[in-house]
Amino acid sequence: MKRFRSYLLIAPTAALIFLFIVLPYVTVLIMSFRAPADGQPYGEGFSLGGYAQFFGQAYYAWSLPQTILLGMATTLICLVLGYPIALHIATASRKWRGLLYGIVLSPLLIGIVVRSYGWTILLGNSGVINATLRNLGVIDRPLPLMYNNFGVILALAHVFLPFMVLPLLSALQSMDPAIAQAARSLGARRFTIFRRVTFPVSMPGVQAGCILVFVLAISSYVTPALVGGMRVKTTTLLVVDALIDQFQWPFGSAMALVLAVSAGLIVLIFARLTRMKWT
Amino acid sequence: MTEVSLRALQKLYGKTLALKGISLDVAHGEFVSLLGPSGCGKSTTLKCIAGFEEVSDGRICFDNKDISRKLPEDRDIGMVFQSYALFPHMTVAQNLAFGLEMRRLSKSVIAERVAKAMEMVQLTPYADRFPKALSGGQQQRVALARALVIEPAILLLDEPLANLDAKLRNEMRGFIRDLQKRVGITTIYVTHDQDEAMTMSDRVVVMFDGEIAQAATPEEVYDRPASERVARFVGNANILELPVMAVRDRAAGGFDLTLPGGTPLHLAAPAPWANGALRVMARPEQISLTDPGFGQLGGRVAKRYFSGGHVEYTIDTDCGPLLVLGPTTQAVHEGDAVGLTFDASRLWPMAPESGAKP
Ligand SMILES: Nc1ncnc2c1ncn2[C@@H]1O[C@H](COP(=O)(O)OP(=O)(O)OP(=O)(O)O)[C@@H](O)[C@H]1O
Ligand SMILES: [Mg+2]
Repeated sequence: MKRFRSYLLIAPTAALIFLFIVLPYVTVLIMSFRAPADGQPYGEGFSLGGYAQFFGQAYYAWSLPQTILLGMATTLICLVLGYPIALHIATASRKWRGLLYGIVLSPLLIGIVVRSYGWTILLGNSGVINATLRNLGVIDRPLPLMYNNFGVILALAHVFLPFMVLPLLSALQSMDPAIAQAARSLGARRFTIFRRVTFPVSMPGVQAGCILVFVLAISSYVTPALVGGMRVKTTTLLVVDALIDQFQWPFGSAMALVLAVSAGLIVLIFARLTRMKWT
Repeated sequence: MTEVSLRALQKLYGKTLALKGISLDVAHGEFVSLLGPSGCGKSTTLKCIAGFEEVSDGRICFDNKDISRKLPEDRDIGMVFQSYALFPHMTVAQNLAFGLEMRRLSKSVIAERVAKAMEMVQLTPYADRFPKALSGGQQQRVALARALVIEPAILLLDEPLANLDAKLRNEMRGFIRDLQKRVGITTIYVTHDQDEAMTMSDRVVVMFDGEIAQAATPEEVYDRPASERVARFVGNANILELPVMAVRDRAAGGFDLTLPGGTPLHLAAPAPWANGALRVMARPEQISLTDPGFGQLGGRVAKRYFSGGHVEYTIDTDCGPLLVLGPTTQAVHEGDAVGLTFDASRLWPMAPESGAKP
């Protein structure tokens, strides 16, 4: 009876999870094995056609490593840029902390479309940077800042930086300041303390931040679409293209699943490699 | 030989003076406690000695060398924090090895010294555990061993027992004290618990509001407190204001006081500030209960608390309510009339409080 009642308590959550997470996945899974058809989203019967098309054509297949590398580069840049920010905020006086916190969070208040569009204004061939350099006579042909991996990674890193800083900050702030003092009293200097104590102790935050940014980056659509101008082919762009423009539901679903499974595997491997026995 | 010497130490936080000129000498191998209420500057003093806080004025000398400007990592100190501050991502053995690795000792020397230190604090079976998997008392011992394994010149402890339960705290008191004597290390220990300070220290430094009120042996601080505030902080104190009938010897001590009811009371201690009346302190155990009509002062039992080893009474007298500690064998109950006898040899005169502190 007691057990039944506790099941009753989790029932609403379980229903929500089933309805909005499990069911869509199952639908996509089934759809990915549907036979393709002309003139309609999918046809009768089942086939492996969607997967064959993805892995069989280099144009599509190469988008997967391309997307994953893009995600990894974005994650790395966010970590390298975000760690000093988080460290600085964590050690700032209370007065400054609130302000810095606000600055880090502020990009989230502006829509992702607006921010991505902002980058196109900066990076475009006749954008602010190229125009300035050309008028100064530094260059006579625009630098390729947009419509390539560089531009997309830059914009993605900007868009997702807060998602790296926040977990790092929470890890650093939950660290007892006496730990660093203890290390000093034992004779460790600044850099040694960072390398041997602060960074390893903040590892749960590093892990969370990296996973978050990686997953967000590889599944993002707006930023690669706007800044990459459809010339940087990520799997996510291809999925949307297949589902909405080409009307090939089985093919789109197959690609979406391949991307999700690949991302899941990479996250698992990453978590395994950075496993902490001490938490 | 003086190991640690604080000379007129001042510490300014913004506009508040947290330390108002602390001067203290700690001898080689001595165990000194800094005792005082919350906010009196104990931790600040310790942080200045460790180097985590820069002193605003004054000097800190180790072995007569001024180290006020040295960084903590260069001061050769071992420190134990209230939160233990163990490295959570390192095992017990790795925690202990850290300080030795910083000193660039060879692997074999490190292993040997870590093993010895773990034995010293009886943690050998836990060498490969992470701090999270240890009890509070075990973590405490790791922190202690980690501070000692580097064989520092000075050991600093900031309320290391505050997070332990009462029984473990008692055990650890003895453990730390024994260890300190065995190693012979100069130790400065911060606590706000007067029992802890009394039982462990060679010398107790009582601090109030950023100043040292008294620095003396536990017996001295308890029996001959420098002020009423010290008297009340280090234990229960009955303060009686009694008229002086005669001064026998001002310098060596010798006053005839009189209790309400006319009974004379002889005070053997020197009290150069005697001026018509004297305030004297009697600890609860320095007053004994007798049958009514006997003793030096009459009273009535207002409250009686049994606390295992003894009984605590509050006795209403003409000198106000007095706290008295009696043996459990005495059949005295609330409401009973009693007589009180003072242990005159241990009565201690109080200096009038400087300034008008309530
Ligand atoms: N970082 C700081 N900034 C400003 N004021 C401080 C700082 N640290 C301590 N103080 C002030 O200095 C005074 C002494 O503080 P300290 O921490 O030394 O007290 P304590 O005797 O250790 O007390 P407790 O028993 O509560 O630990 C307090 O009034 C405190 O408010
Ligand atoms: Mg303190």
